[in-house]
Amino acid sequence: MSTAELRALLGPAAEQADEILATLRTNRSRLPVAFPGLPRRFGKAVVGGGQRLFGEATVDLDAFRTCDLVAAYLVTSLDATEEEVLDVFAHGDIEERAMLFRCLNFMPLSSTTSRLFGEALRTNIVLHLEAAMCDSDLLARTLKSGTIDADTGNRLLLKFAFIGMDLTRALNIESHANATLSTMLQDLATEREAAGRSVWKHTYRMLGHAVCPGALGRLIGGLEHGDDGVRHAAADGLLAMRNNDSKLQPLLAQFAQERLPREPRKTVRELLQQLATN
Amino acid sequence: MLIFEPHIHMFSRVTDDYEQLSLAGVRALLEPAFWLGQNRTSVGTFIDYYETLIGWERHRAQQFGIHHFCTMGLNPREANDNSINRDVLAILPRYCEKDSCIGVGEIGLDDQTKTEEIMMSEQLELARNHDLPVLVHTPHRDKMKGFQRCIAIVKEANFPMERVLLDHGNEETIKITRDLGCWSGFSIYPNTKMDPARMVSIVLEYGIERFVINSAADWGVSDPMMVPRTCVKLEQAGVPREKVEQLVWNNPIDFFAQSGRINAEMLAQPASANLRETFDGNSVLRGQDPDKM
Repeated sequence: MSTAELRALLGPAAEQADEILATLRTNRSRLPVAFPGLPRRFGKAVVGGGQRLFGEATVDLDAFRTCDLVAAYLVTSLDATEEEVLDVFAHGDIEERAMLFRCLNFMPLSSTTSRLFGEALRTNIVLHLEAAMCDSDLLARTLKSGTIDADTGNRLLLKFAFIGMDLTRALNIESHANATLSTMLQDLATEREAAGRSVWKHTYRMLGHAVCPGALGRLIGGLEHGDDGVRHAAADGLLAMRNNDSKLQPLLAQFAQERLPREPRKTVRELLQQLATN
Repeated sequence: MLIFEPHIHMFSRVTDDYEQLSLAGVRALLEPAFWLGQNRTSVGTFIDYYETLIGWERHRAQQFGIHHFCTMGLNPREANDNSINRDVLAILPRYCEKDSCIGVGEIGLDDQTKTEEIMMSEQLELARNHDLPVLVHTPHRDKMKGFQRCIAIVKEANFPMERVLLDHGNEETIKITRDLGCWSGFSIYPNTKMDPARMVSIVLEYGIERFVINSAADWGVSDPMMVPRTCVKLEQAGVPREKVEQLVWNNPIDFFAQSGRINAEMLAQPASANLRETFDGNSVLRGQDPDKM
């Protein structure tokens, strides 16, 4: 990915970013001094422009702020070392760390990526989990490349579920679905139900992509849930389940047909229609 | 009434204090970097302390709806320690750039040594480089001479007086600072030094222009509620409510707004208190259910 692409997105901020970059090129040790001021100097306004491809990475610019992109521009232009990035992270405030997570999207996948994901997992700060896992395919790419192992990915996604984030913001993450993760999500759901608390609706979606004991029962039951989002996720999950195992088609079609006349939501009805037909 | 407590060391206080402050109307506070009661032996402990001020302590305050700000600096007492003072000055620039850092401080004099003076001068330069105002600690012993020396150092550095808050003042020091153009801070203590009744007298005689009041509460016998208590005394003495609010809300904001990093608009709402939020995996709830708090 070229830094020119990033620079082009900065608009009028590019010149000021270049000034900072010029200073840093003459004295790289000033990076930790330059970094904290980026949000107040460049603002936190969203850049916008929807999903966009940067090299291998897909990034949703509707969630990236100008300061995030300036940070990424500086870090990539300087080709910051792992030591430099980790130093800024270790001594950074909450915003600096959030910007660094966003920067990872524009840097090559490396041990820096895995160490920062490890920090997101360890520290449990919602802003940082969001910055690391949402609005791009960073987590999916990192897992696919083996930069972080499946167990770490599962624990990140379990945390994702625990804090109730929107799965659709972690682009392509369904590709990481696996039976172990499904079991973890199923157990979390059961615990929460026992405590009379709500269940992360995307549990239904993920369970459909990788079946674990009890998955089929939960998904079919989800079609009768009072929450529209849960029914939608359950129908989604059942479709994924059918696509992975065509033998389930007759059974699932039967439930879909029975539910269809009573389903009030058009979007869910459309999914049930697909499920009801071969 | 909204209150900005402009000098309190919450690092040394418990969550009950945060709750009481919040209930009393404290919407924002400033925690100056200071001495922890015993001297530190390495720069690493300063780093961790500064990071607590921009991290965990901000999080704790936020959990009670309070906006937390800080000033960064090497306090005068430890400035005398030649085994660490240079190393601490070297790490300060990155912390002066943090978003929640809105000044340099506490700097100033304590024992009034030559080394303290050098460190104060260098930190005035630090403030100038980062475009920040300064919070100056003045000595508790031989106070008048200490005030005069602090003022002389500021003048020698040609540092703008309007960006200087000379703290821990009293009836005597106000006579020499009133017309300097600097800001005057009064720390209200429970049993010693300035108390609410004396503060009322000062306000009745001098008004409130470029004054701030604080509790300077720390690890010692002190009372974080001293600003709200003094507000009550001021109103009882006939000071109009809008003047009291100017003293405890607008004035501290006006002074620290010179950093360019805060303004009244960003404090219009309480800090967002999401009790489910953790910091470094840690929560103030210690296992309690956020839904029942």
